[in-house]
Amino acid sequence: MIDVLEDLIKGAVSEVFSTMLSIKTEPDSTLALLTTGGSHVATSVGFIGQITGIVFIYSNDDYARVITSRMLGLDPTEVDGEEMVNDSMGELGNMVVGHIKSRLCDRGMSCVLTIPSIVRGSQFSIQPVTSATRIVVGFRCDNTQQIAIEVLIKPEDKAQP
Amino acid sequence: MGRKILTVDDSKTIRLIVAKAFKTFDCEILEGSNGVEGLAVATREKPDVIILDFTMPIMDGYEMLSKLKADPDLKSIPVIMLTAEAGREQVLKIAKLGVRDYLIKPFKEDMIIERVSRVIELKPRGEAVAKAKNYDDVIQILVVDDKPAIVDQIRAGLADTKWKVEGVSAPGQAVDHCSSSSPDLIMVSLTLPENGGYTLFQMLRGSAKTKSVPVFGLTVKTDTDQQTRAQQSGFTGVLTKPIDFDELKTRVCRSLNLDTSLRYFATRDGALVMTLPVDFSQSVANEVGMHLRNKVNAAVDAGLDKMVIDLSQLKKADITLIKVGLNAIQLCHELSLKYSMIGSEAVCLECKNYEETKDWRLFTSYQDAMAQLGVKLAAAA
Repeated sequence: MIDVLEDLIKGAVSEVFSTMLSIKTEPDSTLALLTTGGSHVATSVGFIGQITGIVFIYSNDDYARVITSRMLGLDPTEVDGEEMVNDSMGELGNMVVGHIKSRLCDRGMSCVLTIPSIVRGSQFSIQPVTSATRIVVGFRCDNTQQIAIEVLIKPEDKAQP
Repeated sequence: MGRKILTVDDSKTIRLIVAKAFKTFDCEILEGSNGVEGLAVATREKPDVIILDFTMPIMDGYEMLSKLKADPDLKSIPVIMLTAEAGREQVLKIAKLGVRDYLIKPFKEDMIIERVSRVIELKPRGEAVAKAKNYDDVIQILVVDDKPAIVDQIRAGLADTKWKVEGVSAPGQAVDHCSSSSPDLIMVSLTLPENGGYTLFQMLRGSAKTKSVPVFGLTVKTDTDQQTRAQQSGFTGVLTKPIDFDELKTRVCRSLNLDTSLRYFATRDGALVMTLPVDFSQSVANEVGMHLRNKVNAAVDAGLDKMVIDLSQLKKADITLIKVGLNAIQLCHELSLKYSMIGSEAVCLECKNYEETKDWRLFTSYQDAMAQLGVKLAAAA
């Protein structure tokens, strides 16, 4: 399951970033989570059902602004305030997790998505409960930037019927 | 304003992307951020199509759609679902809801335009403006021909206009070109390899951006099979090579409904000046005849009382020219306009040979013609 999930994350990020942003992404296992040093944006979208978990998409604040401008076809200087960035990053998370969720459902693990939410900060970390499985995949974007995806998932034997 | 498109999505980003996608089309974009708002706007505005998200707070897309279909006033509005969830079960569930189509996120702008154009006819926002264009405006023409000499020839043949000719050699390049710019008219070689010209024509007609752009087929004069096939396929027209550029200009004007009157009529030095071009032909005569009365009436309305009939660019006088000249003179008599005429040496001589024109007094310069009308101009430098 974990192996499948990692592939699903890579496929989803590649598809969403190339289609919506024309950004080429390359998985890079050497990248660490972007939660310390500088301002960061973390988008979270949960999935609940026969498989339950939560997906975080981490980006630094400046790159979140670039992503927003690419998504809306604007110049980065035209991105107006945090609300616009939050909304775009939320929608990006919705698309990435929606893509993963669809593939999980096709494998018989039906679930529903939660509404995206945004966390901002410069020093924060996610502490999963001990029973959760954690997967982190880093991505290089257009060779110069990076994002990270973190998935926390309940073990399958504890998933809801 | 044309069609109304309602987009219901809790994401402002998606609503902005949808609005941007349809910016070039003659339509109004309405918005709702959840099912409750969506239903309220739908009830009030009766949109032509609804683009509906699935997962939303307060009221989701499923519930909104159920309520929409239960309302006799709203149930016939076509709905396109826009969802981030593409699992088989989800797709089946969507299909059962009676939606017209669905689109999975992520999506590109042209994908949503294509889906909506399957449901309602989209017209480019500039179409009305294009119809008001005249002969002297910049017209974008795309030529799709694998022979660069043909593109160069067309560019040279239209060099006396402000029309811009862009050339590409393959259908794929033409599609890319049309996605980034909006040609006013397209010419496609009918002899592109592997039926490329016909395939491209179908693609152009299938795209909302180009479905109403006139498309001419290009082929050699003797290839009547291609001409027939192009006509049957629905091409706007067929141009035969070698290209007759007078005919081409006339057909472009007709296809784009261009106002060609400025090609022949102008107001100068307090007089209406009618200038017949060097490429004077029966089709030009028809065009001039079509505009003549309106232009003269408008000039008189505007307070002008003089007209100059300029035949100086013509190389010869024939019955077509004589008819146009006599019509103009007749109108001047009817409206009590003073008029004078300018002619080339050849036209002056030939006019002496016809009963109808032997008494025409043709000046050889604009200054002299204006002096005849009582307007003293500074001598040309």
